[in-house]
Amino acid sequence: MRIGQSQRFDQARPFVALGVALAVWLVAPVAIKTFARASFFEMTAPVTSVASYVSDLQRFWALRLHSKEALIEAGRDLARLDASYSLSVQQNSELQAEVERLERLLRMPPADHYRFEHARVAQRDFSVWWQRMVIRKGADYGIPKGAPVVYSGGVVGRVAEVHAYTSVVELISDPGLRIAAVVDGDTRPISYQGAENPVFGAARGVVEFVPLDVYASLSEPKRLATSGLGGVYPPGLTIGRITHVEPSADGLFRTGEVTLDIRLAELKEVTVLVPSNPG
Amino acid sequence: MRGALALFLTLYLLHALTAEANNALSGAHVWLFAGGLYVAYSALMLPFRQGLAATILGGLLCDSLAPVAFGTHAALFATAHLVVYSVRERLQRDETAVRVAVALLVNLAFYLALSFARLRLVPATATALPRMLSDLAWSQAALALIAPWFFALQVRTLELARAQPARIA
Repeated sequence: MRIGQSQRFDQARPFVALGVALAVWLVAPVAIKTFARASFFEMTAPVTSVASYVSDLQRFWALRLHSKEALIEAGRDLARLDASYSLSVQQNSELQAEVERLERLLRMPPADHYRFEHARVAQRDFSVWWQRMVIRKGADYGIPKGAPVVYSGGVVGRVAEVHAYTSVVELISDPGLRIAAVVDGDTRPISYQGAENPVFGAARGVVEFVPLDVYASLSEPKRLATSGLGGVYPPGLTIGRITHVEPSADGLFRTGEVTLDIRLAELKEVTVLVPSNPG
Repeated sequence: MRGALALFLTLYLLHALTAEANNALSGAHVWLFAGGLYVAYSALMLPFRQGLAATILGGLLCDSLAPVAFGTHAALFATAHLVVYSVRERLQRDETAVRVAVALLVNLAFYLALSFARLRLVPATATALPRMLSDLAWSQAALALIAPWFFALQVRTLELARAQPARIA
């Protein structure tokens, strides 16, 4: 009888030990956990960066195989783009000067200014539970946690973690990300949340607290942009297109579905907007 | 502990390969999860402490990049390690097919556990289900494909480190 009990205890002992270890870990100081997480992340970071550099090298050699005619054509197209962008820059400077003049005249606080930090995407991690990417710039370039990340199509997400030479970006399709947004041509704020990354098609998000007079459908989608509220994202950046709205359960507002840009899943370079005057 | 460190090196390699595969497959909206491989060999073949240490280190490696409470993967892996270790004498654990079957079962259990833990955060649960099932199917297929190679790699690494466990029948 005693031998049987002893054997049962011997069998259960590892589980008891694990339970005790988990309890100790749960009450362990946050500093220890943060340090351990950062250490393990930094352990994997060199492999991530090296793989990304190798991929860039591979692309470089692939591009070298292009014919001279193709390069000449690309150069001509770039020259045309350059000319149109030069004109836009001049117009932008004039508009900026006008904004500053009006700010002084109306004694308004100056608008937020950002430094653009371009970064290569080193790794993408898009599961059904989270959508994140690692970029090849971190504390070494002064990337702050929470900074907005954009690309030519609009918002990518925000910096969730900053490490020594890399940062982790949480995408707008991540269910954990919420943004105050506005429908194009409307000033009333609504709530956007990342939702899913389906097998086929573009990633999707959801909108809540949409005013009852806002309509959108697949044939007549509405552009969803950042509102500027909350102070993280500058106003007017594209989030996606609202392709469906329906009355919410309480009947006071509408809820809707947002289709995000398909390019989000294949980004190779992004821009981090680093606030010039943080705080 | 040489065996645990040698095994951890293979898990580090597995982590890097899985991350690269997921990076390449992100455009196709496919995500692979290979948690079962972090546990199967160490739980089936290694002495208890060595195996558990390697498994927990592998779990912490997974935790470092995932937006979950730090220690979630490690706790899941350790629990699975104990369960597999407690039944391993009843299994034909020298057979590769048995090891692969254990890895597949453990992987399925991890995937479901993580799904239950994370699904409450997804606003459109019903529409996320096809993607979940698709990822699970791809993960299991990929795991079945690479598991024999990975177990062989672990055996060779332990041999190189002169930490091959003595098999007690």
